[in-house]
Amino acid sequence: MEPLLEIEDLYAGVEGKEIIKGFNLVINPGEIHAIMGPNGAGKSTLSNVLCGKPGYKVTSGRVKFKGKDLLKMSAEERAREGLFMFMQYPVDIPGVSVTSFLKHAVNAVREHRGESELDTMEFIKMVREEGRKLGLTPEMIKRDVNVGFSGGEKKKLETLQMSILKPDLAILDEADSGLDVDAIKVVADGVNALHTQDKGLLIITHYQKLLNYIVPHFVHIYAGGKIVTTGGRELALELEEKGYAAFVKDNQ
Amino acid sequence: MSKLLHDIKLIGDDIPWLKDMRSAGRDAFAVSGLPQPKAEAWKYTKPIRFFAEDFLPAPHGESCSSPNKNLPFNACKIYFENGVFCSCDEDIPQGVEVLPLIEAIMFKPEIRGKIGASADITKHQFAALNQAYLGEGVYIKVAAGTKVAKPLVIINHITTDRELRQYSLRNLVIMEDSSKAEIMEYYCYDGELKSSYFVNMVNEIYIGENASLHHYKLQSEAYKAAHIALNSVFVAGYGEYKSFCLQKGADLSRNETKVILSAEYAKTEVDAAYIMNGWATIDTTTDIEHLKPFTQSSQLVKGVIGGQAKGVFQGKIHIAPQAVKTEGYQLHKAMLLSDEAEIDVKPELEIFADDVKCSHGAASGELNADQLFYMRSRGIGEEEARQILIDAYLNDVIAKIDNQEIKQFMSMAANPLKERE
Repeated sequence: MEPLLEIEDLYAGVEGKEIIKGFNLVINPGEIHAIMGPNGAGKSTLSNVLCGKPGYKVTSGRVKFKGKDLLKMSAEERAREGLFMFMQYPVDIPGVSVTSFLKHAVNAVREHRGESELDTMEFIKMVREEGRKLGLTPEMIKRDVNVGFSGGEKKKLETLQMSILKPDLAILDEADSGLDVDAIKVVADGVNALHTQDKGLLIITHYQKLLNYIVPHFVHIYAGGKIVTTGGRELALELEEKGYAAFVKDNQ
Repeated sequence: MSKLLHDIKLIGDDIPWLKDMRSAGRDAFAVSGLPQPKAEAWKYTKPIRFFAEDFLPAPHGESCSSPNKNLPFNACKIYFENGVFCSCDEDIPQGVEVLPLIEAIMFKPEIRGKIGASADITKHQFAALNQAYLGEGVYIKVAAGTKVAKPLVIINHITTDRELRQYSLRNLVIMEDSSKAEIMEYYCYDGELKSSYFVNMVNEIYIGENASLHHYKLQSEAYKAAHIALNSVFVAGYGEYKSFCLQKGADLSRNETKVILSAEYAKTEVDAAYIMNGWATIDTTTDIEHLKPFTQSSQLVKGVIGGQAKGVFQGKIHIAPQAVKTEGYQLHKAMLLSDEAEIDVKPELEIFADDVKCSHGAASGELNADQLFYMRSRGIGEEEARQILIDAYLNDVIAKIDNQEIKQFMSMAANPLKERE
């Protein structure tokens, strides 16, 4: 079985500053991984490098996604290949409705796979149905992307996009930041419902709260640009109890 | 003989007043010549190419080949090809009169005081040149009280097999009291996209009491064409002139709109959008005169400029001393897609009355990198994402078009991706 994601000895940074220093990780189909790190560990840099955000530079190392060289792909190619970034701060796009945005995205992915465009009416029906499950009303779906959305609604919209695009690997970047418990549950239920045996999840988070709802198989503690400890679900609980300092002090 | 001014045989030279008007236009242009590089009105849009290139007028009475340009909506089409009146749909709505301008000049002596009355040839050099060749164009009269249901669309179609031609056209529109209509001008071409020609337009529009005209224009000329247009509009009491112009073609283009709000409660809305790449200069110039109390004007102009192109907006609002309780608003916004793209904005407010509400604003920005990345991270290609964002940027000004079908048509024209859909 081929891994979904293989990161090998990755060094990368932004604006000339090296932030990721010798990072290794393998995610196999069906697995849920959590990367936990203190502020400034480089969590955002890691997610930005993986999704191909302009400005982030890889200095050495390899990243393979479903066996292909991820680092050679543009941001849009990564998405079309089945990588999804659940954003910490989703952007407003005034003048572009949620449905129109999603339709462009879905059709770009479908075209990449050699599939025909979706019928508009059926597509709208599907978006409404998926939205309903997340508590997004048809009125909200008609609105412009993230315009006038609360923090919780923005994260639900990210979940909706994930449910429509059906990625092979989703990276959740601080998916629970700014959410109350009810909203975390809705988002987590949405994400869990999409997780199947052939898919992978990478949760990047500071707090372990979200891991109560999306239970990981592996927890990695990330500090100083690399993984310093790996364990199971219990590691996150231990971390919560002892704090990051106990884990990272010897490694920095 | 100066450039652009040529001796050709024109139909109607046997009509003395027409002959006199042409001579007056000729003389005015011979005296003034082309706008000089230092002329204030042409400070940003320099018509220098006319100093280097000459354009020959199209002979009157040339035949046209294929009077057929389909529109995706129901309209009464008036068709010009290569600057010549070709045909008009037969089902002209009741109460509307449509004639080739030359016929109106011959058979409608009452228009004599209207033609040339508002387009001042001492101030507008290109209007003087246009008047020197006066004769082509269309005359439209909407009778008092008539509400025209479907839009009248004037299609100016150029087949680019004729190089370096100049096409002088003048439309005269008379909206009688309490009438209502929509007129669209559509400038398009077939063939060589790098063809060079010059369209010199003058529209003289008279809007009677309580009458309303919605005027749309799509300028989609060939890449190397020059397009200069003057819209001279006179609005009577309680009358309304609402316009929207999208400019996206030509190498040198100006759409100038002068509106005189001549009596109480006359109002106007002059909106425009432009989208340009390459090396072109695209100019929107407005001049709104509030002569009487309770008149209203508003302008929203939005542009998207890329490559080494230049966008120009000159917006003047003049409020006469007696024009109290008037409102005049103006906003220009532009998005620059490249480092070499340029925007020049010159708002001019001349307010001689107290107790008026008047404002202007200008803003420019770039494509938002975070929005672009967000879309790309969902699989949308960079080019498509840029186009979607440009489309979204122009959305609010296009949304001001009341006619849904024309709105959609303009929205498609502004977005090459949609045109392909």
